[in-house]
Amino acid sequence: MTEQKMIPPNTLMAFGAVGGLVGVYLAYFFAPANPIFVVFGALGAVFAAVWGADAVRRIASYGLGTGVPSIGMLALGMGIIAVLFSLALGIGAGGPIVAFIVSCAIGAIIGIISVKILGMTIPIMVSATTEIAGAGALLILGLGIVIAGSLDYAIFVKEVVTTGFIMMIYIAGGMAMLHPHNSNLGPDETQDRLLALSAEKAGIAVVLSGFASVAGMGAVVITVLIGIIIWYYYFGKYYGFVKRDAYKVVDTGLLPTEEEMQ
Amino acid sequence: MIDIVGLIAPNIFWILAIVIGGTLISISVHFISVGGAPAAMAQATGIGTGTVMLAAGAGIAGIIAAGAVMDLNQNFGVVLGAGGVGAMVMLAATMIVATWIYAYGVGVMPVSAKVKYDPITKYRQDLYVSQGTEGHGIPTVAFVSSLLGGLLGGIGAALAYYALMKVGTYAYSGVTPLEVHNLNLVGVVATFTIGFFFINSVIPSYNIVGTIEGFHDPKFKRWPKAAVASFIASIPLGIVAVIAVGALAFAGGL
Repeated sequence: MTEQKMIPPNTLMAFGAVGGLVGVYLAYFFAPANPIFVVFGALGAVFAAVWGADAVRRIASYGLGTGVPSIGMLALGMGIIAVLFSLALGIGAGGPIVAFIVSCAIGAIIGIISVKILGMTIPIMVSATTEIAGAGALLILGLGIVIAGSLDYAIFVKEVVTTGFIMMIYIAGGMAMLHPHNSNLGPDETQDRLLALSAEKAGIAVVLSGFASVAGMGAVVITVLIGIIIWYYYFGKYYGFVKRDAYKVVDTGLLPTEEEMQ
Repeated sequence: MIDIVGLIAPNIFWILAIVIGGTLISISVHFISVGGAPAAMAQATGIGTGTVMLAAGAGIAGIIAAGAVMDLNQNFGVVLGAGGVGAMVMLAATMIVATWIYAYGVGVMPVSAKVKYDPITKYRQDLYVSQGTEGHGIPTVAFVSSLLGGLLGGIGAALAYYALMKVGTYAYSGVTPLEVHNLNLVGVVATFTIGFFFINSVIPSYNIVGTIEGFHDPKFKRWPKAAVASFIASIPLGIVAVIAVGALAFAGGL
């Protein structure tokens, strides 16, 4: 994979931020009419996860020194705080966009602190922490609306937070952002393979939140189905990329039986 | 739209408590002996995982302990103590089992590569470090240091949890105050505290660049930088958290 063929960061940022917000808003406005539209929230979460994975890829390739998971957990930590705060404000349709902005602001603050006080020398630290915070917030909003069927604070708290599904979103969503770079990093890392893995992981998160959904049977079925399709398609794509990038893929066969060992 | 000023004004003290909690968490990470992936392969001293995972594991154990106790007894000292002990128990269990595996499974002895003599046991260290490694296992000084880290981190987490519970159960004018047993309140407070803990354990782990042996490590001297960073970062987080939890109290716990 040559450098020219890579998707530029700004394109992915627009793809993730716009795609994520549009997905969440489509789910927000159409879910009261028919709960199966929460599936748009799931799609928005996938967009956000792919964007976040690319931001993690850019920042972690500088070498954080702490392992890649730390930055994924940081992203979702900032996202969770921003989302609960913004939904608590009770500003209706303004909630998701405020959550996104507040999360980006928290990310920028953490980024600036890391550079100014801790003296981190990563040049894109501030912009990348802002991006992952925004992606984290959209991921939580998207998967949260799938589970609760609404972004009303009361319903969100009752169905997502009190039930504990927020921790599932935290880890499953975090996986979609941190795992792709963690498992693909190295000199042979390629962007398309990494992003395919991110979409595949996001598909798993969508399936899980679809199962947890209380938005009605239709919503459960369609979200789980879409999640499985995303997972299947991108797993195939990822496997294809692995075969393309690997020198050789060989079948090791099954474990030898006891007689064969002797 | 909720009354933000009416929410923050009576809770300034608790915002300060949350900020102090965040700073304690940040300092605690410097005590916990973490070796990262090299330690998992017995090539560096410390527990074989990342700072964030370990500190967060200890912190969440502390939050669970504090939350369970808070349901029965709302005494400030008891909740903080439970948080500290909960985190220490989690770390101690992790470290003792890891030590068995290092000693009997991997076949290396616990030894520090940062000091010539263990400051606690006074045992010679440098002779026992395998060539090409940065020490291995969890020597006594690292064990004790990690327990101190668990205590601090657990207290920090419990302090943030306690403060947010107080914010949620405060008697705002014209609102029936929530009970500490309200599940929605416990859920929101615990979620916030965990997110808060993750953020405040990532900041110091950047400061120590991922690995540290404990208070005897030269990197330990960097802790004031992380404490200041977490202090500043916790202020907006504390305000945001107080508003979200206070809104729940205004909504009558749903």
